[in-house]
Amino acid sequence: MTPRLERRLDTDLRRTGVSRLLGAVTGLVVAALLLVLTGRNPVTVLTDSLDAVFGSKRGIEGVAVQSVPILMCALGVALSLRMKVWNIGSDGQFLAGAFMACGLGINVEAPGWLLLVMMAVGSIVGGALWIVVPAAGRAHWGVNEIITTLLLNFVAVQLVVWASLGFWRDRASQVTQSTRPVPVTLPRIPGFDSVSIGFFVPLLLAVVLWAVFRSTKVGYEIDTIGGNPRAAAFAGIDVPRRIIVVMLVSGAIAGLGGFLQLTGAPGAQALNGGGFSRSYGLSGFIVAALAGASFPGVIVAGLFISAMFYAGIALQTKGLSVYIIFGIYGLVLVGVAVGEVAARYRLVRVVAPDTSPSIEAVAP
Amino acid sequence: MSATLRPLAVEVRDVTKSFGGVRALDGVSLDLAEGEVHALLGENGAGKTTLSNILCGLYRADAGEVIVGGGERHFQSPAQAIEAGIGMVHQHFKLVNSMTVAENLHLGSPDTPRVVSARALVASAQRMMDDIGLVVDPTAKVWQLSVGEQQRVEILRVLARGARVLILDEPTAVLAATEADELFAVMRRLVAGGRTVVFISHKLNEVLQVSDRISVLRGGRHVVTREAAGATARELARLMTGEEMGIEVEHREVTGETVLELRGVTSRNSRGVVALHDVDLSVRGGEILGVAGVSGNGQTELAEVVTGLRSPEAGTITIDGVDVSAASTRRIADLGVGHIPEDRIGVGMVASAPVKDNAILRHYRSDELSSKQFLRRDRILAFATSIVEAGRVQTRSVHMPAGQMSGGNQQRLVARRESLLADRLLVAAHPTRGLDVLAAKQVQSAIVERRDAGCAVVMISDDLDELLVVADRVAVMYEGRIMGVFDRASFDREHIGLLMGGRTEAVAG
Ligand SMILES: Nc1ncnc2c1ncn2[C@@H]1O[C@H](COP(=O)(O)OP(=O)(O)O)[C@@H](O)[C@H]1O
Ligand SMILES: [Mg+2]
Repeated sequence: MTPRLERRLDTDLRRTGVSRLLGAVTGLVVAALLLVLTGRNPVTVLTDSLDAVFGSKRGIEGVAVQSVPILMCALGVALSLRMKVWNIGSDGQFLAGAFMACGLGINVEAPGWLLLVMMAVGSIVGGALWIVVPAAGRAHWGVNEIITTLLLNFVAVQLVVWASLGFWRDRASQVTQSTRPVPVTLPRIPGFDSVSIGFFVPLLLAVVLWAVFRSTKVGYEIDTIGGNPRAAAFAGIDVPRRIIVVMLVSGAIAGLGGFLQLTGAPGAQALNGGGFSRSYGLSGFIVAALAGASFPGVIVAGLFISAMFYAGIALQTKGLSVYIIFGIYGLVLVGVAVGEVAARYRLVRVVAPDTSPSIEAVAP
Repeated sequence: MSATLRPLAVEVRDVTKSFGGVRALDGVSLDLAEGEVHALLGENGAGKTTLSNILCGLYRADAGEVIVGGGERHFQSPAQAIEAGIGMVHQHFKLVNSMTVAENLHLGSPDTPRVVSARALVASAQRMMDDIGLVVDPTAKVWQLSVGEQQRVEILRVLARGARVLILDEPTAVLAATEADELFAVMRRLVAGGRTVVFISHKLNEVLQVSDRISVLRGGRHVVTREAAGATARELARLMTGEEMGIEVEHREVTGETVLELRGVTSRNSRGVVALHDVDLSVRGGEILGVAGVSGNGQTELAEVVTGLRSPEAGTITIDGVDVSAASTRRIADLGVGHIPEDRIGVGMVASAPVKDNAILRHYRSDELSSKQFLRRDRILAFATSIVEAGRVQTRSVHMPAGQMSGGNQQRLVARRESLLADRLLVAAHPTRGLDVLAAKQVQSAIVERRDAGCAVVMISDDLDELLVVADRVAVMYEGRIMGVFDRASFDREHIGLLMGGRTEAVAG
């Protein structure tokens, strides 16, 4: 008897969830083995990580600060994923949003709150503008958005580097690769030292998006396009227009993330080249994929990844390279992906195909 | 206990199998319950043997699924089928005549040791027979046995491998009457022990005598599955032969106003080739215009230009006098036009989405189901349930993905949804394709019902028989042109058949 995989007919959400979780745990176990192989004690790494995150108020605040840009990028990606559009460019949109907010912040004279509003609006516009070309290409000419959105990331980095080194460079300071800091910041949440009220934005946004997909026509239309664009056209939905709007909103959310980072994260009040985004778009993409484009799922997965990210940074002080943390990420992600696929199959045993009977065997 | 309430042993979904040009099975769906004798009834050539051979791993289906124990199975060999508990006794026995019963019982079994004594084989054969309660002399050579005894050996051979589902292909054809009665007793014993027996026959009285449920096949299609209790031989004969099965449609003089009018409509298909040439057609309210033709002669594009999925290159299309040549799908639907598309999975539904989301696909914008930007979720549930009930869609729940329903039920869902939309015009492209006979009849009745309510209907089909029964007029398409339009008085199957093949000159004689 040989075991064989067989495709299941039905999909069960609970089974998929358990399978993903098992996949994540498997990924962590493999990561632990690798740590052992490199001569580290995985238990220490784990306890150090938990301690870094939950051991102090500072850890919790660190995770909260870390989560804002990741969650914003993830929500943008998840929104477009509902339509089966792969926005790989949220890093670029995030930077474009920050660029617009920074430009307004350092060049416009206005009362603080008004300036904040202008910067927020500017970041939304910036993020959306950064995805206009991929959106139009995808909607009207079927140009693959994966490539276009990805390429624009590099352009956005160059733009920000140029601004930091060139036209908005802070000539007064010794820092050679930075713009002037913006003059306004978001208020802190009372009782916290480093977490701004920007922390609530992705949480609120997730609730709004969840509600939109649960009970509005637009949400239904987007899910229909994601399920079968031809059926959507049959239903009278203007598919190209919806694709453009959803992609612009997706970019705008990442762009707004840039504003929240610039005005909310401690010490991030200026553009300092490409380093302004620590691959938040990539993390956001991972989070959206982990969550399977469910908005509550994005929050859960996003906080988890943020905690890992923060722990990784904290562990650097203990001599652990950040690349190890990226490696662990990767293993967890692969585990979840395998778990997701595995949930669609089950193992059965079958006999090997009949071999012709041997006459001697039964002859007396 | 009713047989339908028992747990399912095997589910067959939309199984299709062709041999060369012959469709031996065409979208057959049925289920086999545990503990029942399930008869497969049909005339010669109905596809009974082909279906059984697919179940037992001898043939592979071209399309469709066989589900055993909740999982889809694609048997590569009879050995795999028997491993899954399905075994078959063929019309022609597959025993080795020169060997003993005991030897035959062990032949080809994976559990048989490579080297074994004759005495051990006989002992083990005797044990099998005692376990199962079927007795044949294990030391006899097969050629010495009566046909009835040989059949028992075959049955034993299958059961010894652990079969829970036993398929008997016309087992009584070779038996004398008393032997047949003995076989029936064996069958009843087996199902009493929880096994499933599939009993193939075209003898009505036998089927009525021994079965719990009866599935009728005709011409490769599933006609019906029903309880044997209460069935009559006469009724079964009718189902088998198809007489009186078709729908009867009354045709009165059409008095409605013209609803749909096409003038000089020309259009290209998706590959850029001209698919409609200068088409003129009109359909009145209360009329069914049948569009006959071999698939691929422009019928698809005709349905698409009328419903707004494709825009014509030249010509005008009006609905109730409104020019819709350049109108969107949405605008045309709002005029009261329903469309049962040819490709129901690719165009008509979202397979991954729940049944309820598919039920509202063309209605969600209505005031009933939404207000401003919001969907009225409670009403949507009620609406979907009403479509499922009125359309006789068989589904476990409206929350189940529509793609998990059988093809026939998907078609019922789409047909019902579109009929509801069609106040003025219904465009039905191959609405009964792949449906079993009764389901096809239901869909046809629904279409006739729309017509009787004053709706204009364009019914595209490559089944000319269907059109000749249902349609008030028939237009013939060939290579994108209308070759002729016939009213009922001038229906002439041969003439229409020639036009469908593009022949106009041979008609005169
Ligand atoms: N191996 C085959 N090759 C070609 N045609 C076949 C083959 N088996 C069956 N058919 C055709 O398929 C159809 C159904 O046959 P079958 O399943 O044997 O019907 P039944 O058992 O109900 O009499 C018939 O038209 C038959 O000629
Ligand atoms: Mg046969």
